[in-house]
Amino acid sequence: MKITRILTIAAVLIGTAALPAAEDLKVIANPSFAESTISADELKGVFLLTKTSLHDGTHVEPVLLKGGAVHSSFLKEYLGKTDSALETYYRSLVFTGKASMPKILASDADVEAYVAKTKGAIGYVSASSTDAGVKALEVK
Amino acid sequence: MFADVGRWYLGMKKAMNPKSILSKMMCLAAVFCGAATMQAQFNISQFEVDGYTVQVHGFASQGFALSNHNNYLTMDTSNGSARFTDGGINMSTKLTNKLRVGAQLYDREIGQLGGGRISLDWAYADYKFNDWLGVRAGKVKTALGLYNDTQDAEFLHTWALLPQSIYPTDLRSSLIAHVGVDLYGQIGMKKAGSVSYTAYGGRRADDKRNGYYFNTQDTGIPINSWVGTLGGVDVHWNTPVSGLMIGGSFLDEHDNVQGVDQALGATFFLPSNPNRITDGYVDYTLGKLHLNAEYRRNHTNYDFIIFGQSSYAVQSSSGFFASASYRLTKKIEVGAYNSRFYVDDPANPTDPYANHIYDQTVSFRYDLKNWWDVKVEGHFINGYGDIYSARGLYLRDNPTLKPTMDMLVVRTGWYF
Repeated sequence: MKITRILTIAAVLIGTAALPAAEDLKVIANPSFAESTISADELKGVFLLTKTSLHDGTHVEPVLLKGGAVHSSFLKEYLGKTDSALETYYRSLVFTGKASMPKILASDADVEAYVAKTKGAIGYVSASSTDAGVKALEVK
Repeated sequence: MFADVGRWYLGMKKAMNPKSILSKMMCLAAVFCGAATMQAQFNISQFEVDGYTVQVHGFASQGFALSNHNNYLTMDTSNGSARFTDGGINMSTKLTNKLRVGAQLYDREIGQLGGGRISLDWAYADYKFNDWLGVRAGKVKTALGLYNDTQDAEFLHTWALLPQSIYPTDLRSSLIAHVGVDLYGQIGMKKAGSVSYTAYGGRRADDKRNGYYFNTQDTGIPINSWVGTLGGVDVHWNTPVSGLMIGGSFLDEHDNVQGVDQALGATFFLPSNPNRITDGYVDYTLGKLHLNAEYRRNHTNYDFIIFGQSSYAVQSSSGFFASASYRLTKKIEVGAYNSRFYVDDPANPTDPYANHIYDQTVSFRYDLKNWWDVKVEGHFINGYGDIYSARGLYLRDNPTLKPTMDMLVVRTGWYF
């Protein structure tokens, strides 16, 4: 039993260690954003398409990465969903007419470029990415 | 039973119309090729019109069903049937940050259901004032229970067939959508999570290739029309427990049904006053494990009016299912559900199989690509329900119903 428990804990730790921690990614927004923080609830609402504006009335649009460790970590940390569950969720909205599929881009550079030029856009990238043209948001 | 799959090849040749299948497969191949191309665009297919971005999405599915007894959902399942096709395509665009418009066409041929006729599935304008209040107007999918509005999109579910006790494929069109207005929104409750609601009112759509029409034809009281008004509400609580959602729905419908009593040779009218559905559900996701359960109660008070005389009647039934699914890998998902349908007062109370339909189902889903899935599913069914309950088993292709049946369902779907 002890060995089983140790192995289980080790497996969880290894599995968790395979994903970047939340501090290895950062949330970025278009420079037009008035504030430099966003609540975790608001961030979740934006990416689950239930929030189209922030508490200050700013219109928001989520931008996602197509895949990768940063993407998986963001989903786990802030949305509580796996990649397939999130795809299923988006499709359930699209095929009932309740929403359009959000923007999904291939790389950090693509996400930063889109967020920089699109008013209201919010995305996430690796923490090591440059902040050129975007605003980093602190998630509270 | 599954050893009888050897009958499949002979059954397929006998049951299928070669021309119909050829045209269906060509359409599916076209969708498949289109989907494969469009997937290169990161799951979004879109084009620009006058500066507006229009998104296009679609799906198609093809299934096969084989049963050891009885014929199910008007398919010739006892010989194996591939008359199990559906698909849809939609377009939508954002006209402003608050206003969206879109429409979806849908077509299905499941046995005699649908008849392969393209119909308008939904089409509406959606204006969102803010996060807690939006309005949709047009033909709108009806918010009822966990899956009413998404029941056509097989790719959204683990199952090839949703639990028929609550989501009967043959009665889809009676509840799937309404022409009217919805109010909707989500209200945050800080540490208590959030509440999402939809309240709606409108007119129900009629569908003459729906199970109720077939059932009344088979029992000598064919209906000619079924129109009515409805209103309802769906509320669900996204609880502070991560992955846990609890909800309930209520629908009140006032129908006017008209038909002919063939034995008496007279027209009858059947106004319901009212037809009520009460539904409760719970959904829980923990990592790769997904659990949910739903209960629905359907109660109809109606007047049967013929020769100017009116007699009062009540028809009640209830349904329940509990399901569990687990995503083993990125491509493989397995699951099972127990689905139960009960009829309160069957026409033949001495028949022990007439007051229920139980369905134990095990399912295996394989996602070949993130736009292509295949499912293999086994159904173990006990009971056939009441002669008037119209739940998948019809006299037209079941002159003598067997009390139990096992059925294999294989279904593949493409979507973009």
